[in-house]
Amino acid sequence: MNLQTERFKEIARENLANEEQRKILSQFSLILKALRDSSFAALPDENAALEKGRKIREDSVKNMPYLLETFEENATKAGANVVWASDARQANDFIVSLAKEKGANLCVKAKSMISEEIGLREELTDGGIETYETDLGEFIVQQAGKTPFHIVGPAINMTIKEISNLFNKTIGVPKTEDPTELAISARMFLRDKFKNAQIGISGANMAVAETGSIILVENEGNIRFATSVPKTHIVLMSIEKVVPTMSDATHMLKLLTRSCTGQRISNYVSVITGPKKAGEIDGPEELYIVILDNGRTKIYSDEVLRGALQCIKCGMCAAVCPVYTHVGGYAYGWVYSGPIGAVLNPLLLGLDRARDLYHATTLCGACKDYCPAGVDVRNIALDLRAKEMDGDKSFNASNPPVGLKRLYRIWTWVLLHHSRYKIASRLMRIIMLPAIKYGKISRLPGRLSGWTQCRDIPQLPPKSFHEIYSELKK
Amino acid sequence: MKEVALFIPCLVDQLLPEIGTSVVKIFRKLGVSFVYDPRQTCCGQPLVNAGDRKGASQVAKHFISIFEGSEYIVAPSGSCIYTVKEHYPRLLADEPVWYQRACGVSEKAYEFSQFLVAILGVSDVDTRYEARACLHESCAILRQLGVSDEPKTLLKNVEGLELTPLNDADVCCGFGGEFAVDYPDISEAILKDKANNFKASGADILILGEPGCLLNIRGYMSSNGVNGHVKHIAEILASE
Repeated sequence: MNLQTERFKEIARENLANEEQRKILSQFSLILKALRDSSFAALPDENAALEKGRKIREDSVKNMPYLLETFEENATKAGANVVWASDARQANDFIVSLAKEKGANLCVKAKSMISEEIGLREELTDGGIETYETDLGEFIVQQAGKTPFHIVGPAINMTIKEISNLFNKTIGVPKTEDPTELAISARMFLRDKFKNAQIGISGANMAVAETGSIILVENEGNIRFATSVPKTHIVLMSIEKVVPTMSDATHMLKLLTRSCTGQRISNYVSVITGPKKAGEIDGPEELYIVILDNGRTKIYSDEVLRGALQCIKCGMCAAVCPVYTHVGGYAYGWVYSGPIGAVLNPLLLGLDRARDLYHATTLCGACKDYCPAGVDVRNIALDLRAKEMDGDKSFNASNPPVGLKRLYRIWTWVLLHHSRYKIASRLMRIIMLPAIKYGKISRLPGRLSGWTQCRDIPQLPPKSFHEIYSELKK
Repeated sequence: MKEVALFIPCLVDQLLPEIGTSVVKIFRKLGVSFVYDPRQTCCGQPLVNAGDRKGASQVAKHFISIFEGSEYIVAPSGSCIYTVKEHYPRLLADEPVWYQRACGVSEKAYEFSQFLVAILGVSDVDTRYEARACLHESCAILRQLGVSDEPKTLLKNVEGLELTPLNDADVCCGFGGEFAVDYPDISEAILKDKANNFKASGADILILGEPGCLLNIRGYMSSNGVNGHVKHIAEILASE
């Protein structure tokens, strides 16, 4: 996937200017929040349910090494082939060569963020295996040659007209502005692919240690199709997907579908335990489960940062984020967008390649309030900023901009004694004098010009509170 | 009567002293026995947000030394109180003695409206303010401190004040400290929504409890010719 994280500001600016997209984003946020809230309100005690889910994810991540071993053992018992991959290269190589070994030339794919992360579709295509995304949104994104705009709704920013023109060009169907007809066209196009594909690839919403099962959540039936018709089903999952028990998994399921799309339950939930058994009609003959690390063990080793691994990729944080709902998903420049992307992209790519992501947050904390998995993005972002300031290179932090460290050192020195603070306060008043025009400050120099781009400082009071108060007391 | 240490955040001290004098006025009216220690400076929040933990720890120690002797610490800002409550113990976690002292300070820090309602048990400060107003629920007060009913209770009992709903009252105003300076385009877009929601509310005054949000929204409205006033809740409560 083309990496654009270093162009955050530029892409954000372009997207802010896209009025149509802005309208879609605000509708999306409004509708999803309402659906989410009403589906949560249907729970006997929504706060208790959220707390329980957060605890499950926290414990799952904490006990991940043990849970993964248990999962491997039970999945193997159920007849799956479990394969460990330490990075994108290993996972891609294994899957492509397995597909070749099976003599495959056609592959159908379920929507999976981890496959986006490692660029699996492109690798398969380059390996001569025609590969199709079968989730409608992801199919649109593939046809358009774009990147996902949102974790759950990868094409939510595209209008019916754009999709109509796209399908007309790529799959040769007549133009129509009827969304149902467009969906039918995509289904008809994909039907043959499903029937003839030798390989079906999916991700995993959860992996249950206790039973060795994979759980997949969807609305379109494409995942059920892709994982039951082809002879070989390959699951690609990242290590943090594991949960201890089926009871934990079903609890998380309640929170996941409610937070993804505001549904009490999705149209389909597939629980896959091993390949087709003797006497069963449907299902793949072989099941491979590729468990991928790709930098996560390193994140796991840091007690604060590991919180990012609790994420269940519901995408709810994006819908309540003031930044995402204005700039959209492309600005995040890589697979994950919204608040979780703001910390996960830097952690997986290196902080130096995604510095803007963890700085471009208002720290409002709405994401944490809505998160069903207990991810504290605000705190993780602050931790990443601290790594940068401390010169901690464990996640390839770049050095802070020149002079910034010195500025904060001076600032600290000023704040450590009231007399220095008082002098600085008087100095500021004198320095600011020339900037005052018509009783307010409308233009500031340097970095502070960002403030006055759309704001002024209405008045600079002649005296500080401190000065006023000492006179009051007299 | 309880002994309160009044903390005046640097933004209030330097740019919005009228908020500080309003708090003093209300405390005096309610007979709250308070002290204002002139050695205070800033809680160090900008340093925490910039990732300068070393600087922030030093400032935290300075703050703790000044404030730990009092029974309560009250400030007309949610984000400063959150810094004291949540960040101080975290910043000083590796220094056992300081950690204990940070926890001590953390337990007695209150945002202004929270202190009036939850600690003093005051819901009516017996004041008058003729206006049609709406309340912006600042993130630090609403989300980080979980304070929402308190300011509403206080405002409901202000005579002459008509409270009207504000759409997306609980959505961030786009301040975020350094965010407003470093990402002005995004901040502006978020602010514009806030200003539009305010306009649509029909109110002539926007009330809030966070100095940062106040500077942000007021600055935008002044610069973009949006009619109306932005005021801190203490200013409203101190009006008469």
